[in-house]
Amino acid sequence: MRIEVEGLRVAYDGRTVVCGVDLFAAPGEITGLIGPNGSGKSSVLRTVYRHLRPASGRVLLDGTDLATLSPARSARHVAALPQERGGDFELTVHEVVAMGRTPYKRAFAGEDDGDRAIVADALDRVGMARYGTRAFSALSGGERQRVLLARTLAQDPDVLVLDEPTNHLDVRHQVELLALLRAQHRTTLVSLHDLNAAASVCDRLHVLRAGEVVASGTPLEVLTPTLIADVFGVRAAVIGHPLTGDPLIAFDHTATVAAPPP
Amino acid sequence: MRTAPSADVDEARGKAPRAAESGDRDARTVPVGLLLSGLAVTLLLALTAAVSWGSSGVPFTDVWSTVLHRLTGGQPRPGTQDLIVWQLRVPRALLAAVVGAGLGVVGTAVQALVRNPLADPYLLGISNGASLGAVAAIVLGAGTGGLLGLGVSGAAFLGALLSFALVWAVARRGGAFSPLRLVLAGVAIGQFLSGFTSYLVLRVGDEQQTQGVLFWLLGSLGGAQWSTLALPAAAVLLGLLALQARARALNALLLGDETAAGLGVDVAALRRELFVVTSVLTGVLVSVSGAVGFVGLMVPHLCRLVVGGDHRRLLPVSALTGAVLLVVVDIVCRTALPSTELPVGVVTAFVGAPVLLFLLDRRLERAR
Repeated sequence: MRIEVEGLRVAYDGRTVVCGVDLFAAPGEITGLIGPNGSGKSSVLRTVYRHLRPASGRVLLDGTDLATLSPARSARHVAALPQERGGDFELTVHEVVAMGRTPYKRAFAGEDDGDRAIVADALDRVGMARYGTRAFSALSGGERQRVLLARTLAQDPDVLVLDEPTNHLDVRHQVELLALLRAQHRTTLVSLHDLNAAASVCDRLHVLRAGEVVASGTPLEVLTPTLIADVFGVRAAVIGHPLTGDPLIAFDHTATVAAPPP
Repeated sequence: MRTAPSADVDEARGKAPRAAESGDRDARTVPVGLLLSGLAVTLLLALTAAVSWGSSGVPFTDVWSTVLHRLTGGQPRPGTQDLIVWQLRVPRALLAAVVGAGLGVVGTAVQALVRNPLADPYLLGISNGASLGAVAAIVLGAGTGGLLGLGVSGAAFLGALLSFALVWAVARRGGAFSPLRLVLAGVAIGQFLSGFTSYLVLRVGDEQQTQGVLFWLLGSLGGAQWSTLALPAAAVLLGLLALQARARALNALLLGDETAAGLGVDVAALRRELFVVTSVLTGVLVSVSGAVGFVGLMVPHLCRLVVGGDHRRLLPVSALTGAVLLVVVDIVCRTALPSTELPVGVVTAFVGAPVLLFLLDRRLERAR
């Protein structure tokens, strides 16, 4: 399904953090949001998974305004992997993944065989099939993130929304998680800090600065030395990756450049 | 969707050999139905013992013959046994069960509401308001038939509503009753109201009243009567049902507000509902029994060890465990010392503090 964000404005405590954003994620593609800290990436994503309400503007799912759907109904279409880490409340891996069934369940309804099969399948897809009975809190960071991805898969969504899913992961786990994401072939909207990861995994990028989209297109079109200097304030060369051919951004770590004031 | 290999399904159900790390979770394979039945039987036994044991003992068989006789509409039999069993001890044992169940349930819900395993039913200031109401009734209303004609319980519930209104007004600012805001508002307003309570006790009350106040503040089930049992019992039952209906949403809340929103939970509405349900329930419980400590903190922890964090199991198990615990504690209160009765709060603190330390120790051990 196609996600379209139209004229989105988001305000926190009276401060506008997203001012008139238009962007889209095409069906089956991985669409990346990149931009410096505080550029509004997370706020845009939070509006898509309905943690935040737009001050104005809309989020459309194949043309339907998400705000017209009940929260449970839109959660059957859009699943989210936010950045937050919850408390330790003695949940097993299976229980965490089974939460993905929440939007499908009525009050008092138990878990049926269908749910259990879906949970097992989701765990299998992220390579955690043997971990169902483990304590979630006893997992490593990389394992946790895969289990949380399995939770979004158990939600059987049309659209996956992920906020910095590779944060705090070592490089191998980053590569694994992004490969898993690719393998799902679902419409995906993901924010990433790592521009090289974004260049290799995303079909399309939207660049945010100070709450506005300043560039959109394929990684090759968007990730130019000029844009990187303008938006991120660093010098970089963009070359072809010797192994994959993807754009490879080589930063100059010795000096920043003055970014134009937002 | 691709079907999963059946071995994985079995593993997800907990049948596959478990990993070494999860060795302390074997109890989870106990079906929750069996566990609940076991707890119900234990509760029945504890209730029987509570009615049987005391300053004058009544054999188990006589307990049940009296209770069944009365339950089937029989007239009171002559003699003191009917008085002791039916009029005094049965209502008291049942009140202990109701209050214990309520505290277990509210404790579980408040811990999810503020996403903090150290929260208890009194964290949000409701009990401080109830105490103020009760103390005002005891101290100011003495000899004049109680404050405004309310009994101590009525005044306590009024006080609970007062602190609920204050905490609500403060915590709702900025929107969604965030956990931090709720806790800060609850603690601040609770302390504020406690100030009034202390003032009343020290400046207005006489010595006898002070002792009455202290006994009330520490929690007591001595006021149990058949006539005052229905309201708390109904409140606990309705509260449990309301929370059980939201058990999945409570689970989602454990992982965080954003995760819950992504799972289709209206987090702001859920927090409002939880705050109302837990406050009303706490107010009712404190009104009938005073602020019995530690049960609401300890019971959810104990139950999580056995059935894990899923609220669909945790809520009913906490209710029954809390009921059993408080019935047993009240037996100790009545029988530990030859001629005098201990306040419930004293015994729950003696039992609760070591249990809490044990749990903490275990948690730290696992984190290592």
